[in-house]
Amino acid sequence: MKIKFLAAFLVASALSLGLMANASSSKDAAKDSAAPVSAQQSALNESMHVEGEKRFHSNCGRCHAAPPKFPPRMMTTIVRHMRVRATITDQDMRLILRYMTE
Amino acid sequence: MCSNVRWPRKVAQAGLLGLFIIISLTVHAQDDGITADGFKAVPILTGSTAYFTRVTAGQYQDAPSVSPILLLPVGDKWLVEAKGSYSDTFSKNAQGDYHGTISYGMAYGQIDYIANRYMTFVAGRFTTPFNIYGERLAPNWIRALQTGPLTSPVTSGSALGGMMRGGFPGTDSLNVTYALYFSANNTHHLLATDRSTGGRLGFFLPHQRLEVGASFQQVLQADRPHSSGVFLEWQPNRAPLTIRSEYVRSSGTKGSAYWIESVYRLSQISALRRLELVGRGEQFFAASNLSAATIKKLGALGKDTNEGDFGLNYYLRSDVRASASYGRQFVLGRDANLWTIGMTYRFVMPMLPQGGAR
Repeated sequence: MKIKFLAAFLVASALSLGLMANASSSKDAAKDSAAPVSAQQSALNESMHVEGEKRFHSNCGRCHAAPPKFPPRMMTTIVRHMRVRATITDQDMRLILRYMTE
Repeated sequence: MCSNVRWPRKVAQAGLLGLFIIISLTVHAQDDGITADGFKAVPILTGSTAYFTRVTAGQYQDAPSVSPILLLPVGDKWLVEAKGSYSDTFSKNAQGDYHGTISYGMAYGQIDYIANRYMTFVAGRFTTPFNIYGERLAPNWIRALQTGPLTSPVTSGSALGGMMRGGFPGTDSLNVTYALYFSANNTHHLLATDRSTGGRLGFFLPHQRLEVGASFQQVLQADRPHSSGVFLEWQPNRAPLTIRSEYVRSSGTKGSAYWIESVYRLSQISALRRLELVGRGEQFFAASNLSAATIKKLGALGKDTNEGDFGLNYYLRSDVRASASYGRQFVLGRDANLWTIGMTYRFVMPMLPQGGAR
């Protein structure tokens, strides 16, 4: 019984180590291939940040002084409210919400 | 007597039950109301408080006020929003003593359903979508001058019914916005609305920061007047300047009016960057062929009026503002000076303890 238990433990450990090693190697592989993707993503994020800031000032600044950034869950409610009140387009709303929750 | 007592109790019970259902739905919705951006919307209590001293044609008035707004998101497509108002206006009576007059009301209480990215349905009591002042600029922490423009009383400001509204990008540099509504007649002394229909169409150029549009309203009761209006708002990219204007014309007894307002923020001078200068000019033209009785009934809307206002707003913080203004109103036989000084505070707070967490 003890031997069976030990064998099962060893098999499980080997499998776990194998899986961990596989995950680690695939992470490394992902890291290697992610380098250009990450740069691309960073450029996209920067461009969305700039666009979000622009949309924030052009939409929100039409009526009132720029508010501070509130916590994300509050910001989600506020932007939904302003979408209805100020007829902000869905695209602008998403860009503003992204910018205000960064 | 008995029914007079029971009726408000029944209304209060129904209101409490409604509130309980809404809060239950909202709390339940917190579990699955994750938006596309990964954040759960949280109920919020926002609004503003203000204290203003007004001197109108030599008559002093002190008016503290509060206007709370409750925002209850349900799931990721619904929003229940309600705005109330309460103010106590103190003025001198004939004996020279200060006397307070309390007023309260509900500006809007509506349910919004975001049907898709281009369309939102609204039901309940809402602000009439006519031009830009009523819906966007009227809150006292937003308006550049505390005295309302002469265009406001020309149209019906509140509606009880349904509305369809939204916006969509026409091109990369043009957003088209629209709103269409219908309203039922309601004679309640606090929530009175006209039976009417109408809408607004707007064109917004985000790069040029220019918005122009037009509105229409048809009242479907009494002498069935219709009103039409146009509006403009421009914020040039090169200067911290805002120029706004509205024009409205009514076919009935309420005449026509326009106003032009400019707001200049002194952001280029570091010591004065929190200060903005405001100027507004406006004219009201009473409808022609009004009988003496109608003029008396219409009050301020019965006489041609010209007005010029100048004001200063100082932002102590983004949510605390001190304001002062002077205006001169020219009405036949009754010119008046209009002084205003006071402060506004805009508050925002989450209604659940985890308001700041994801």
